Amino acid sequence: MNHFALTIIGRDRPGIVSQVTEILFNHGCNIADSSCSILGGQFAMILILAHPEYTGRESFGDAFAPLEEVELSVFLRTLKPGGETHPDIEGEICMISVYGSDKPGIVYQVTKELGERKVNITDLNTKLVGSADKPVYVMMLEAVLPAGTSVEDIEQMMKHLKQELQVDISVRAITPVEL
Amino acid sequence: MAVREIRIYPDPILKEVCAEVEADDHEVDALIQDLVDTMIDAGHSVGVAAPQIGVCKRVVVVDVSNSKLGRENNHGLLTMVNPEIIRREGNKTMREGCMSVPDYTGNVDRAESIVVQFNDRDGNRQVINASDFEAVAIQHELDHLDGLLFLDRVSSLKTDIFRRKK
Repeated sequence: MNHFALTIIGRDRPGIVSQVTEILFNHGCNIADSSCSILGGQFAMILILAHPEYTGRESFGDAFAPLEEVELSVFLRTLKPGGETHPDIEGEICMISVYGSDKPGIVYQVTKELGERKVNITDLNTKLVGSADKPVYVMMLEAVLPAGTSVEDIEQMMKHLKQELQVDISVRAITPVEL
Repeated sequence: MAVREIRIYPDPILKEVCAEVEADDHEVDALIQDLVDTMIDAGHSVGVAAPQIGVCKRVVVVDVSNSKLGRENNHGLLTMVNPEIIRREGNKTMREGCMSVPDYTGNVDRAESIVVQFNDRDGNRQVINASDFEAVAIQHELDHLDGLLFLDRVSSLKTDIFRRKK
């Protein structure tokens, strides 16, 4: 099996998912992991595909032309072997919520601190909410902490960012339980 | 006494509604022992329901006393025959995984505190009030008796890609 990453984005309307997946189905593509969501007024799709024979972009020919005709942007990336399996990420999981009046640099400042401490961000969503004159920025992220870093360490670290950025930040541990 | 194999989805027994245990069922005690043995063998998991070992009867065992989250607040080893939740209160979200659905976890909302009645291993009617992790574990195991998996109750999909810590 060869694997591909496919991203598609375009103005949201009903029918995008079925149009895309019909093409994939007709080409004999398997959809493995995928995540699709509305961002702003755009519908964004990210999919990991598997195909038993296709080896690269050219194997798909002009399969995606009908999508481009209806103003969807399509990008296909051929994965190197092993690029489809997610690594076994070991470590404590924590969820960080950051919110406050909108200003430049919230995402950068927070993620820079995390990156410097080798914290692995595994999920990140941001949204601009509130009214036009009082915009509020909300960021939710989930991260895996490296060995030796505790949720309390992250809390400490966020305390000074909270001061600096004048935003509210909360950090909580997530413990998956096997039942 | 035996450790039994944990049934993994898509085994159809996991989606069946289990039968009430009859008063004259003499196999129940052996079933309870198998559930306890299987639970302990699985790295002391916190609970096992009968359908998870291939028996379609309303029996579960739960024991959160060995887990970090349940250590402070528990009833020890609970063996529940024909259990029924008669009161639910509050709300608690936990990221659940299940031995019958490997390599997948999801956030599930459940009652934070429950009153549950059941027959114990000796056939005595019991009513207990469970809360926090123990309440979540009981609700998860009781769902198995109705053919429900945590996948039927998951409240968020996007962060469910992690393997659980063994």
